[in-house]
Amino acid sequence: MKWEIVCTGIGGRGVLLASAVLIETAISAGYRAMASDELGMSQRGGSVVSLVKVGTFRSPFVGRENADVVLSFEESEFYRNLPFLKKGGLAVVNSRRSAMPSPVDALLLARKARCFLVNADEIAGRAGSIQASNMAMLGFFSAFAIGPYSIENIVGALERKVAPRLFAMNKAVCEAGRNEALQRV
Amino acid sequence: MSNVEVMIGNQAIALGLVEAGIDLASAYPGTPSSEILPAVIDFKRRMGRKIHIEWSVNERVAMEVALGAAMAGKKAACMMKQVGLNVAFPPFIKSRAVPIRSGLLIVSCDDPGPQSSQTEQDSRLIATLFGVPVFDASSPGDARSLASWALAYSVERQTPVVLRSTHRVSHAREAVSLDTPTPEKGSLDEGLKLSNGNGLGIVTSGMSYNVVMDVLDELGLEKVVSLFKVAQIFPLQAGLFAFVRSMEHVVVLEETDEVLEALIGDRSKVFGRSTGYVPRQGELTYDVIRGIVQVVAEKAGVGAKFFSPDRAIEEAVSTVSFAPRPPKLCAGCPHRASFYAMRQAFPKAVFPGDIGCYTLGISQGAVDTCVDMGGSVGLAAGFYEAFHQDGPFMPIVASIGDSTFFHAALPLLYDSVKKGKQYILVIMDNGTTAMTGMQPTPQSGRRAEGTSEYAIPIEEAAKGFGVEFLRVLDPYDIPGMIKAVKEAGADLKQRGRGPAVIVARHPCLLYAKTGKNMSVQPPDLTADCNGCKRCIDLYGCPAFLFDESEGRIKLDDALCVNCATCQFVCPQKKKGRRERG
Repeated sequence: MKWEIVCTGIGGRGVLLASAVLIETAISAGYRAMASDELGMSQRGGSVVSLVKVGTFRSPFVGRENADVVLSFEESEFYRNLPFLKKGGLAVVNSRRSAMPSPVDALLLARKARCFLVNADEIAGRAGSIQASNMAMLGFFSAFAIGPYSIENIVGALERKVAPRLFAMNKAVCEAGRNEALQRV
Repeated sequence: MSNVEVMIGNQAIALGLVEAGIDLASAYPGTPSSEILPAVIDFKRRMGRKIHIEWSVNERVAMEVALGAAMAGKKAACMMKQVGLNVAFPPFIKSRAVPIRSGLLIVSCDDPGPQSSQTEQDSRLIATLFGVPVFDASSPGDARSLASWALAYSVERQTPVVLRSTHRVSHAREAVSLDTPTPEKGSLDEGLKLSNGNGLGIVTSGMSYNVVMDVLDELGLEKVVSLFKVAQIFPLQAGLFAFVRSMEHVVVLEETDEVLEALIGDRSKVFGRSTGYVPRQGELTYDVIRGIVQVVAEKAGVGAKFFSPDRAIEEAVSTVSFAPRPPKLCAGCPHRASFYAMRQAFPKAVFPGDIGCYTLGISQGAVDTCVDMGGSVGLAAGFYEAFHQDGPFMPIVASIGDSTFFHAALPLLYDSVKKGKQYILVIMDNGTTAMTGMQPTPQSGRRAEGTSEYAIPIEEAAKGFGVEFLRVLDPYDIPGMIKAVKEAGADLKQRGRGPAVIVARHPCLLYAKTGKNMSVQPPDLTADCNGCKRCIDLYGCPAFLFDESEGRIKLDDALCVNCATCQFVCPQKKKGRRERG
């Protein structure tokens, strides 16, 4: 089995930590995995794209309309990176919106893609810290149990990737994200 | 499993170098090469090796230090980005003809795109042109073994060798095993990878090889196309020519110039850059390679499962308005204030700019040129002569970062002082080499591994050269900064000689880790905002949010660091101060 995941967002919002957790999770579960990051020239606040490929791939590039999953940690970066999402793919978008703009909604429907708008900032703020909204996104994603991405595996990888003093808070936010998904899916 | 570590390509290169037993490593930081040297430090500690490690002041120094060590019998490696190789050109060319008693490996990381460079450039081409052996890494794991292989090659032949990486290899992350020591003489991962008849063959190197493998798999062509991977670009091995001879059609996929293609030479059957099938600029991404393979597979009559993009995606996205995200200086960056003051003091000046974070001053209209490291100072001198020859005084306000100043501008500044050239040079001193990841500068007084060294203050260097107008100030004081730039201009006119130097000193906020300044109240821009947007046009802080529905500016609390410098930018606030004053 193989999966292509695109993580998008802006610098300073934890996109790269999330993608590091995704790789770590896959490798711990015995998969081959690799990633490639695009950061641009801004130190903070610029577009960040991290491409994650799990399974018997050779390159860390994701082609247009090939991504099984697009995780957008910031809403505008979702639109910018929508061409990655394949027909029937899954998108999770951190946003305060309750619905996608109707042309985008119609497109996603026509392409049989599932798209979830999640107020990850709010979930993270309630469960720990708004800075951990990336964890709320990962927790939400875990509810779909795609490949190695169960909540147990993600939390296991998280424990190895974050500082011990921050682990409990990150885990709590991750689980809050998952609960949000379980209520809706 | 336990001894597997996820690492980026640059860490894998460092692992290969330390495993290969290097005695010395030197580098100047530059994206995408910057992480190699810190990783050499890390693996040196973990493996208990004895290695001299240094950040050199520029790539030429890095290469000369490494060359000297290699001539004296040590295994040495120096690291740089592709345009850094240009700076190191004198020792690079001569190194072919000096006696190397051990090994010299030059790691040069290219930036197809380019994503973070002033120009694309193929280090394989430069090495090949001048007959220096060069290897092309295709993945982090491959880069780790090639680093050892290439160093052994250098030791065996007593010649310098180049290891070329690209940002896609240097910054890719994958699991690398820590416990398989690279054999000094293993086998080079090169040659025939897919053998499927002679209709269409692909010759490829570097990351393009791995992309081609994925593309062939997606298009269902892995059973009909033959594939040859090249790792040793120069001197080419005979197997490649035999492969090309045996094929009816050949596609060459390589980044970023024609090197293999030119060495193959046969245009009659090659689909490549010379025949217009491969773009001459930009990265060979998955989509680019998929497009090329589809076209040539059809031409060669081997068929393809065609991918055609669904343009409805762009149509739907075009209906949504979302802000463009051009690269910007960080919220609270002290040198946004420096650029603003330069432009306020002399709105019609010529603004020669430089490399690094401060290239981003272009969005404030205070950077007109971006040529090379130190180029702002050299161009300022040239611009001065050009205007001076024709008569009227033209204000010229050049900018350069602190690390860049030490890297390249010392001889340029001295030359200008000697000749009295009239321009203003603003040295934006943030105390670190910020854009590439906070490496020390000669002013930091800190070495690569953290020990202290003699620190050279910028103003002492300028004084030593005989600069007469010299000011050191904090650019957060915007009125003071504007005044200083104006006084510098007046001084040039009055004395008829220059240059005038201003050291704008305030640490990089990311480096100093100051965070939000809680003792300062951010200015309330919203209350008296009349929607003129001058702050956005001239200052462009990422924390500015313009609320279109209310027609007013707001500060994004998550990004704002309370530097409060924007109070000097708002015309309403200025008016308020005048009325009060």
